[in-house]
Amino acid sequence: MFTTGSKLFIGASVIALATAIIHGTTQDNSTVGIIGLVSATLALVFLAGINLWVRDSNVAADDAAVAATAAASTATPPGSMWPLIAGLGAALLPVGLVVGRVITWMSIIVLIVATVEWMVQSWSERASGDAAYNTMVRRRIMHPLELPVLGAIGLGIIIFSFSRIMLYLPAVAGAIAFSAVSSIVLLFGALFAAKRNVGRSLVATVCAIGAVGIIGAGVTSAIAGSREIVKHEVPSFEENTCGIETDGESDDHASRAVAAKSNLAATIVLSGGKLHAEVIGVIGAQDTVTLARSKYSYIRFENLDAEPRRLVADFGTETVDVNGTAVEESFTTCTQAVGQGGAQFLVVRPVLPSNASETPFTLNVPGVEGGVVTVIVP
Amino acid sequence: MSHSCATKPLQSNMTTVKNVQNQSGDSMTSNSTRRRRWAMPVAAVAAFTVLSGCAKDAPQDTWQPAGENARKIHDLQVWPFGIAGIVLLIVCAAVGYSVFKFRDRGQAIPKQSHGKPSLEIALTVLPALILIGIGIPTVSTLFDLAKTSDTECVVNVTGQQWWWEYDYPAQAGCGGIEKPIVTSGQLVIPAGQHVLLRISSRDVIHSYWIPKLNGKRDAVPGRVQTLRMQADQPGIYSGQCTEFCGLSHAYMRMEAVSLDAAGFKTWVDNQLKPYTAPTADSKYSEGEALFITNCTRCHQVNGILGTDGKEVIARPDKYVYPGVAPNLTNLMTRTTFAGAAFDLQTEACKTRLWNTPPAQFTAAYLEGVTPQCLDIVQLREWLRNPTTKKPMYADPTKLATTGGMYRGMPNLGLTEDQIDKLVAYLTERK
Repeated sequence: MFTTGSKLFIGASVIALATAIIHGTTQDNSTVGIIGLVSATLALVFLAGINLWVRDSNVAADDAAVAATAAASTATPPGSMWPLIAGLGAALLPVGLVVGRVITWMSIIVLIVATVEWMVQSWSERASGDAAYNTMVRRRIMHPLELPVLGAIGLGIIIFSFSRIMLYLPAVAGAIAFSAVSSIVLLFGALFAAKRNVGRSLVATVCAIGAVGIIGAGVTSAIAGSREIVKHEVPSFEENTCGIETDGESDDHASRAVAAKSNLAATIVLSGGKLHAEVIGVIGAQDTVTLARSKYSYIRFENLDAEPRRLVADFGTETVDVNGTAVEESFTTCTQAVGQGGAQFLVVRPVLPSNASETPFTLNVPGVEGGVVTVIVP
Repeated sequence: MSHSCATKPLQSNMTTVKNVQNQSGDSMTSNSTRRRRWAMPVAAVAAFTVLSGCAKDAPQDTWQPAGENARKIHDLQVWPFGIAGIVLLIVCAAVGYSVFKFRDRGQAIPKQSHGKPSLEIALTVLPALILIGIGIPTVSTLFDLAKTSDTECVVNVTGQQWWWEYDYPAQAGCGGIEKPIVTSGQLVIPAGQHVLLRISSRDVIHSYWIPKLNGKRDAVPGRVQTLRMQADQPGIYSGQCTEFCGLSHAYMRMEAVSLDAAGFKTWVDNQLKPYTAPTADSKYSEGEALFITNCTRCHQVNGILGTDGKEVIARPDKYVYPGVAPNLTNLMTRTTFAGAAFDLQTEACKTRLWNTPPAQFTAAYLEGVTPQCLDIVQLREWLRNPTTKKPMYADPTKLATTGGMYRGMPNLGLTEDQIDKLVAYLTERK
């Protein structure tokens, strides 16, 4: 009465229904889960009904013509690796749930991939009685998906391996290795392009050797670990003259940022207890800097002296009315302290002209007698 | 029946021949008509292209350099243009020959071959040689243009939507400037001197370009870029912001004015002279009061005193997005306003000034905007409602995206009487 195919779907329908009942009775807020499981049950019942209706699409045993050409009449297809891989994924899933999220996700991906591949392979092997046609059909469906994914995975492995190599090597050796590898790739590419009748197997062998070499070196480098990367530490400032010291007050890696070195409004240098300004386009050390009003001006402070110092930008004060009370507002900002040879970045936006203040606007270093550069804001 | 059968095809053939002749004649007529139809527009475009090179009123013509740096660029571009022209002619001739010679006449497709190494190598090496030939003098010229060691005068140039501000730091250069000067619209420089512009921006990226004096330089917020200017002779040179910067980009113009050394000194002294208050109880003083009430929130006039006897310091950072508005201390010493988009002078006076010979130009420019030359209509229109003359984001109901700040000058709702008094006050700012 029940065909083989319909038995599978009937069984699955019963399991889905039972799961829905268990889920609904044991879980709170289970609406979504119940909807999903009941929907699955209905879909499986529908498929079971179709299978029963068409009798699993089996041909009649007495139809000789169909029996001779049907896929089922051809030889049994060869074995498949996908059940084994799917089993591996299924086995890894509970392991991942215990050990960690990465294994869980990997097992789910393996399970999905193996299931899809297995299904398509099974379908294609029964698509017709012509094995060559079946293979072609499978390739036509799966290759547009398989090849880009495999290519991306392969490139990802090579790039990741290469990055491990670059992290392991010293900085200079890394640059040399990078140049050498890219030159070798270019050389082989040029040779293959120039010699058109070169064998496919030779190209594949060379590429495989290169890939294995990079992956092998990458694994070795990853095990050996990264080289020591120098960190630019900035000492904390003790003389708190510009508000509360906070980590986010300014860019503590200013000395490493390209943007903090080029086309600045001024570079302020503390050397031998004296402060001077270097201004782009103006030759020689300056004791005065002109900054445009209401414009963000980028200033770099370099401390060449032994003591940690900070640069303070003092752009005067303004009396403002706060709820009927005159309050003096100060336009002062500063860098963090900078150790010897260090640099800090300061962004200022003077909103008042310097002639609005009785005292001159300055860039100064507290605690240093000669540490003043006058600022003119026209 | 057989007779009729024999004659019908003949008649039919004759008819066909006649039809073919007619069709052929129609086709020739049609081709001729089509050719005539195309000939006129093609000739018009060609004539327009050729004749546009003869334009006299072309103040931003890069082919007429008026300074050392512009000349270096000009000299660099002339011969590559020649080479490019020859290459263009060769390519066009080769394409034309190939198209005509091998046009489809129903012949069989020629034998196909893959590549010709000797030709490919030649077509790679020849352009490479040409590019090397162009590249060497180009790099050399780039280094020349970037040179700042012979700077004789420094001017800070700051762009904002949609005008340029020039501030001259106190310096020994430029013939000596004791105190900083701030102006806008017109860059005034001493003729013959190597002037270094330190270019930046307060809001978005702009680009500074006076074609007759040098190439372009982007004005980037937070960055200071240098550009050297040098004008051979006294004169006035037009420019245009060349980086799209928003609604009124097309109105963000600039002019560089070159004066002889003595004239530049006079200009500097004039910019630094103390503020002179208008005569009391006059329309000028009433204009000053109106200016303080309506304009000094954003516009600075150096030395202007408030009712408390203290100098009024404008706070444009509280009202306009870039944080500044043009300094109007010496408005009538320049001949443009509103980002050099409009003239303070009448057309006749402007034409006269622009055509003044170099020897007399300095004196003519230093006259400033005289009452006879003032284009009062433009100024009044601007004060009546600036946004009708220059598109700006100055609608007080639509300032959400700028945190309540205006981009440009809003309509102040001035009466005609107030405009009269403000114009009177402003005409004295020289």
